[in-house]
Amino acid sequence: MPRRKPGTLLPLETEILGVALSMRRSGEATFHGFGLAQLMREQSGSRSLTGHGTLYKALGRLEEFGLLTSRWEDAAAAEGRPRRRLYELTGQGAGLAEQALAGKADKAIGPSSRVASEPT
Amino acid sequence: MTPERMAELVARWVRVYTWNLPPPTAQRRIDEIDADLHDHIAHERAHGTKDRRIALSIAARMLRGLAADVSWRGRTSKTAYRPAVRIALATALILLLPLVAMQITDEVDWGLADFVSAGALLGGAGLLLHRLAAGKAGNLAYGAVATAIGVAAIVFGEADDAPGLMLFGGLLIVGTVALAVRTAQRSE
Repeated sequence: MPRRKPGTLLPLETEILGVALSMRRSGEATFHGFGLAQLMREQSGSRSLTGHGTLYKALGRLEEFGLLTSRWEDAAAAEGRPRRRLYELTGQGAGLAEQALAGKADKAIGPSSRVASEPT
Repeated sequence: MTPERMAELVARWVRVYTWNLPPPTAQRRIDEIDADLHDHIAHERAHGTKDRRIALSIAARMLRGLAADVSWRGRTSKTAYRPAVRIALATALILLLPLVAMQITDEVDWGLADFVSAGALLGGAGLLLHRLAAGKAGNLAYGAVATAIGVAAIVFGEADDAPGLMLFGGLLIVGTVALAVRTAQRSE
C-alpha cells in the first residue's frame, strides 16, 4: 500500500468513497464489508477481492476521518447469520467523494484527495 | 479443503492479531471478519463457485491483508511495540505459511509437534536476537547461545535433509554476527 501524505486519502480510500457514493445514488445508503469488496471488484474489473486487512483498515481510517459512520446491523435483520457492520457516508464523505469523482472525470486531479483534518 | 475450514483459519489469525487489544476493538474486528467470511462463502456458493476455489479466494484475501493486519494492530495497540508481542506476531505470521501451504498442497505435511518446535525455535531466536540487539558490548552470552542454536539447526537440518532448518540456522548465525559487530562498533 502506498505511503500516506499527511492530510490525504490513499487511492483505495478514494475508491471506497466513490463506490459508497454510487451505492447511495442507487438508493442503498448503507453498505457492509464484503458487499463493498464485491462491488469494488466488479467496478474495477479485477479478478480478486480486496484483502480483509486492507479493506477493514481503510474503512477504519475513513471512519476516523469522519467520512464514514458505522453501526451494527439489527439482530433481527441478520436472520441467524453473523451481524454485519453497516457503514454509511457522512455529509463530508459524500462531498469528498463527489469531488474525487468529478476530478477523475476531468482528469484534473492528482492521485490523492485532500482530507479536511487528520485525526490524532 | 472446505471454505468453512479456511474461514476457521482466517478467524484464528484474526484472534492472534487482535490478542491483548482492548476487548471492544478486538471483538469488533473479529465479528466483522466473521460476517465477511460468511457473506463471502454464501455469495460464491450462490453463484455456483466450487468449494476449492472459494477456499483459495478466502486464503488469498487473508494473505493479501496480512501486512495491513499487522500495521493496524501496531497502530491500535498500546502494547503492540512490546518486543515479546512483536516477536510472537512475527512467529505466528511465519507459521501461517506452512499452515496455509498444507491446505493447498499435499507436499507440505506438518504435525502439531512440527509447529510447536518451529514456533519455539523462531520465537526463541527472535528473543535472543532482540536481547543481543539491545545488549551492551561484552554481553557475549546471548550471542553464544544464538550461534549454538544456529549451528545445531544446520547440523540437524543436514542430518534430516531439511533445507529450511539449515537456512534458518545460517540466517540466525549471520544475524547474530551482524548484531554483535554493530554492538561492538557502537561501544567504541
